[in-house]
Amino acid sequence: MSAPLLSIRDLDVVARSREGDRPLLEGISLDLARGEVLGLVGESGSGKSLLCRTIVGLMPSPALVRTGGKILLKDQDIAGADPASLRRLRGAEIGMIFQNPSSHLDPVMRIGDQIVEGIAFYRGLGRAAAREAALEIMAQVGFTDPPRQFSSYPHEFSGGMRQRAMIAIALGCDPELLIADEPTTALDVTIQAQILRLLMELRAKRGLSIILITHDLGVVAQTCDRIAVMRQGRVVEVGEKRALLRAPQAAYTRSLIASHPSMPVEDECGEVDDVSDHPVAATDVAGVAGTPAPAAAPATPGRPRPLVEIDDLRVCFPAGGGLFSRRRSFAAVDGVSLSILPGETVGVVGESGSGKSTLARAMLGLTPLTSGHVAFEGESLALKPRATRERLHRHAAMVFQDPFNALNPRFTIGETLAEVLRVQGKVPAARIADRVGELLDLVELDRSFATRRPRSLSGGQCQRAGIARALAVEPRLIVADECIAALDVTIQAQIVALFRRLVRSMELTLVFIAHDLAVVRHLCARVVVMHHGRVVEEGPTEAVFARPRQAYTANLLAAVPSIDPGQSLFGPDPRLTVSPVPGTSRQGTNP
Amino acid sequence: MLHTRRPAALTAGLAILALFVLAALLANLVAPYDPIAQDGAARLVALSWAHPFGTDNFGRDILSRVIHGARVDLQMALIGVFFPFVIGTVIGSLAGFAGGVVDAVLMRLIDIILAFPFLVLMLSIIAILGPGLTSFYIAMALVGWVSYARLVRAQILVLKSADYAVAAASLGFSRPRILFRHLLPNAIAGSLVFSMSDAVLVLLSGAAISYLGLGVQPPVAEWGVMVAEGQPFVTQAWWITLFPGLAIVLLAFGFSMLGDALGELMGVHE
Repeated sequence: MSAPLLSIRDLDVVARSREGDRPLLEGISLDLARGEVLGLVGESGSGKSLLCRTIVGLMPSPALVRTGGKILLKDQDIAGADPASLRRLRGAEIGMIFQNPSSHLDPVMRIGDQIVEGIAFYRGLGRAAAREAALEIMAQVGFTDPPRQFSSYPHEFSGGMRQRAMIAIALGCDPELLIADEPTTALDVTIQAQILRLLMELRAKRGLSIILITHDLGVVAQTCDRIAVMRQGRVVEVGEKRALLRAPQAAYTRSLIASHPSMPVEDECGEVDDVSDHPVAATDVAGVAGTPAPAAAPATPGRPRPLVEIDDLRVCFPAGGGLFSRRRSFAAVDGVSLSILPGETVGVVGESGSGKSTLARAMLGLTPLTSGHVAFEGESLALKPRATRERLHRHAAMVFQDPFNALNPRFTIGETLAEVLRVQGKVPAARIADRVGELLDLVELDRSFATRRPRSLSGGQCQRAGIARALAVEPRLIVADECIAALDVTIQAQIVALFRRLVRSMELTLVFIAHDLAVVRHLCARVVVMHHGRVVEEGPTEAVFARPRQAYTANLLAAVPSIDPGQSLFGPDPRLTVSPVPGTSRQGTNP
Repeated sequence: MLHTRRPAALTAGLAILALFVLAALLANLVAPYDPIAQDGAARLVALSWAHPFGTDNFGRDILSRVIHGARVDLQMALIGVFFPFVIGTVIGSLAGFAGGVVDAVLMRLIDIILAFPFLVLMLSIIAILGPGLTSFYIAMALVGWVSYARLVRAQILVLKSADYAVAAASLGFSRPRILFRHLLPNAIAGSLVFSMSDAVLVLLSGAAISYLGLGVQPPVAEWGVMVAEGQPFVTQAWWITLFPGLAIVLLAFGFSMLGDALGELMGVHE
């Protein structure tokens, strides 16, 4: 058994303020073996990122102080190291990559130079040699044409390529430990799968140790050897991945696993998921999935009239061009036809930039249509814009992605709701206060929230308030645009459950836009897959997910990391199958 | 996070402003002499118990004149800020919210006004209207609104694509309601903070214009006029220019403290 590469013992970090010290990390003890991948899981605010910043001595604020504990890197205590040696350590021993690569790359410096900078500094190479090394690393992390891309700027790359560049910079200094802080959260699933695969390849090739911070248990299940679950500044559970996922000890871990909207396993090879032997899947099905295919279209006698009809819709935005060049335009939605029956729950999925949000806004008459038709309750937006918009205002509502940005920060929740009721005039003035209370009950917020402003609410509470505002209209149609993307997993599960209840009890028609396929599968009866502004596939959710007809849909589905480690994200690649590194099978030191 | 502690700058700014407001309100009670009464026997008297700030070449008491000057200068700062603020906010929010041709026309108008140096434009307008405080206010309103308009327009442009504005539109709120009830209150914080530093600017340009003889006319006590009148005697009687000058600096300091504090309270720098 080799000594661990990194060993953290009883680490405490507090926030200093005049009122006294507030503990942020308490008694953290963790080990990381050479070549091991440790997953650090927990909700936002649980101290995951702070822990990693403490390891490299980059506290986000001088008010945060380490008050106790040791950080041993190769048996050397680096916790109290002086700034100069910490600086050497950061590049040469520990590399870091972050969630948002665009804000961590210098926008006015060429990618290649940013990689060379670190190499030249830490390895003491000359310009030519450093450039050679940089080109080699760029090839390693998957740049297709390193000599050309060497002199490109960050804005010329996509999010996935920028994250590759970040990895290249981190690897340039040849570290032994890579700390990846939510490296794929901002990326689409297919890109996420590529980046995760890259990390696993690098670990196999270089014997890199990785600490992977993430909120997605699926990512952890696919990549890590061991998992540490954090909550409120403590490690609540550490253990080997399979053991921990199969038999979680802490109640918090169990709820985290239960709220993961994992795909039910349905393999066409006849490999049926054995629920009895699989507590993960069992809690999953019981806790979140509920009955499959909720709120299917009610079988009304005769064909019901569609609530929303979209016919060959195109929405274009001007893109470049101008005074002397020909005006060009970019079609965000390009020939979409879709009809939605009353009572249906329709999921719209696709990668970022596929036109999902534009479709949502066009559906509600919030963006000008370039051509084609959108009809709501049989009235065409193109033919009778005023009347149709009026109808949409009174019978349709939207729920937004960023819960804080969706509510006027100066209004209390009660004022926001009351204003909608007053303007719409569906409720007599004397009843408005009561109705506000009822709306809060509907979204399961305490009535006292009426007097609070968005700033004093959590993201989940804000989102509930946003849903209450949508319900204030007494809508027939709710369009939810990525409304859970900004929330923590356990909160996501609550909001999805709320939608499920509302749809069932209020005869709502729901258009649910998401990039998270698993959530859509749980919530929606029908799914529409979009790519480059077009609908590539649509049909009943179960059918599409089980037997996708289009290669694009199949790729999208395959890229979702499953919480079951047996369902490999990377296919049968022997180099990447995660086998426990010797010395990592022992349980963590924390119970 | 709600701020429970008040920034020190707020206390300081309010205290300074309160001092001047009190001086202005109670000038007749506090001032030891009539500000325009001349006393031939007490010309260019240095600081003494009878005249703590000394007297000028007409034998007028400087302390009394500084106190009475607060009336004129405060009024100048307030009115000189108020009209540009209102005009600029209205024009800026309309330009930002309406966009298109309205925006383009209003922005070009602003570009034209900005193409002239501020004081030159002020002086030419006052020269046309004739010297006096009223002309000063009119010139200020005609020239000063551009900064507010640009500030508010930029804010409105950002806010009108905020989700809560889109939500309001999707709920069928009227456009005036969206602009004035939802966007403007959120957009105005920056201009409120700016108005405090603008008050300093107005005060100084008011003093400058009076110094040039185009603003407040003698014998009315106004700090800029006093500085101008004291100038020929600055080698023999430095107190004539020093004390009104100090008053200008102190009031300006108070306004800028207040501006900082407001900015902090309203989270403008967040």
